[in-house]
Amino acid sequence: MSISQYFSDIFKVARSIVIGMGITLKYFLNYKKNTITIQYPRERDLIPPRHRGIHYLETEKCVMCWKCSEICPVDCIYIEGVRGSDGVLQGGYRGQKATLYKFTVDYTVCIFCGLCEEPCPPKCIFLGPQYDYNATDRTMMEKNLRTGEVYTEEDEKFVQWARGENERLIAEKKHGKKEEGK
Amino acid sequence: MSFEFFTSALLASMTGATVEEVAREHGTIPEQGGIYLEAGIRQICDAMGVTLLVPGWLLITAMLLIVCLLVFGFINVFALFAVWLERKVSAHMQCRLGPMEVGFHGALQTIADGIKLTAKEDIIPRLADKPLFILAPIIVFAGVLMRFVPLPFGQRLVASDLDLGLFYVAAVGSVEVIGVIMAGWASNNKWSLFGTIRTATQMVSYEVPIGSAFVAVIACVGSFSLHEIVQSQSGWFTQWFCLRNPFLFVLAIIYLVASLAGCKRAPFDLPEAESELVSGFHTEYSGMRFALFFLAEYAAMYLVSAVAVVIFFGGWWSGIPYLDEIGLGARDSLAVETAGLLIKAGVLVSKSIFLVFVQMWVRWTLPRVRLDQMMHICWKVLLPISLACLVGSTLWELMAGGSGLFGLA
Repeated sequence: MSISQYFSDIFKVARSIVIGMGITLKYFLNYKKNTITIQYPRERDLIPPRHRGIHYLETEKCVMCWKCSEICPVDCIYIEGVRGSDGVLQGGYRGQKATLYKFTVDYTVCIFCGLCEEPCPPKCIFLGPQYDYNATDRTMMEKNLRTGEVYTEEDEKFVQWARGENERLIAEKKHGKKEEGK
Repeated sequence: MSFEFFTSALLASMTGATVEEVAREHGTIPEQGGIYLEAGIRQICDAMGVTLLVPGWLLITAMLLIVCLLVFGFINVFALFAVWLERKVSAHMQCRLGPMEVGFHGALQTIADGIKLTAKEDIIPRLADKPLFILAPIIVFAGVLMRFVPLPFGQRLVASDLDLGLFYVAAVGSVEVIGVIMAGWASNNKWSLFGTIRTATQMVSYEVPIGSAFVAVIACVGSFSLHEIVQSQSGWFTQWFCLRNPFLFVLAIIYLVASLAGCKRAPFDLPEAESELVSGFHTEYSGMRFALFFLAEYAAMYLVSAVAVVIFFGGWWSGIPYLDEIGLGARDSLAVETAGLLIKAGVLVSKSIFLVFVQMWVRWTLPRVRLDQMMHICWKVLLPISLACLVGSTLWELMAGGSGLFGLA
């Protein structure tokens, strides 16, 4: 290695280091312009309009036809209630054509295929833009679409009470008809 | 703590006289012009009348402890800041944001990480050499902490201004190598051993160019004392040693490059080399022992930067005489004097932190060099050039005498 080669190598190295450090400094100073990070829980990116996320239900329209539940390929929609607006149930959500007391989707099972949207006659179930849903427990992955919250044990108790109450009402009605018939 | 003061304290404890009396007799109390941390604390003790009540040896031990704790506290606070700065610098250079959640822009992130580290399990491998394994991080950290003794944090703000200050800094630096070798050997892990061997070669090799940079400066000043070296750079910034003559300018750059290698920073981070050696000599360490290595690394970063500032970039002089003269007048009140001291301390620390930033900047710009390249840079480039510059600088001093800005000013 000749002496001129030696010094030109040193010069090249020094020059390339200066150029490289200039580039990093440029990025360091303009970081606000260059960064594309989104501070997730506080800032959110725009969601495409046809995004298939967590369901939401326009409860008052629901006619309790079970079509969504039937078409669901993984059977994750559970519905209970009374058809007809005179179904009569205190505490249940009374819609135009039905009184719902349970409408849940189990997100440990749901595959977000969007098939439940299609057969719905009044078009009241949708897959919405919300995409983050988490829980500390597997039982908490069931969402109560009637309230928009997690399906809790209290809801379960209410459903059981309502189920019993409903049967009692039906029995009473039958009994009453028999009485009338006599 | 200076040796003379220690001996006078010993004499005091033997004869029953106060430290004051003995020290005054032997003429070892520092003059008012050079107040050091030890002397400052002693003055506070005097004012409170503590010196009369407490035996000399106890006072000495207590002051040693206080000075040590002050320096240790500074290192800790600096490490908290520098770790955050490093993460931010690296993030912004890579178009990321870095820590953002804990505190303002993640300012408290390091404290959170420190708490996490203390809570971690402290593992010692089964086949490790246990005593050496436990001792190694302590020796590494002690090696760095010892180098802070003659290092000024501002005018008059120095633990003890040793006469052989610069020599001491260079000599005690080798203690760290011993600690690192112990850590790598005791871990009983081949990656750690590779890392150790690399550390030893690297740190010992790069002490040579660092040494010749030191010698060139010492030849200009005629003193090893860091305090003296800074005092002789007063005036305009053209008086700084990096601008004193062209050879010293080259030596300043050589010192910066070699000090990067000396504290195992990228592009000379071969001892840690994540992609090949996991993390080198501290692969097997966890919890607080690992934190101690980490602290030692950041303390060493500050130390080499502060030494660079002291010997090449004017120490506590801001380079503008009007600013430097605050608090130096004979009739200045205590408040003005204190303000002057604080300004000077601020100047020195901010210069050092800027050099630390440059170290980070280099780290996140350049790729790691290969082992043979590392040796090539040291022995075939830095060493011959630094020796030539040493000769050139001394000859320049003989010919042109001491003058600033390459002899033009």
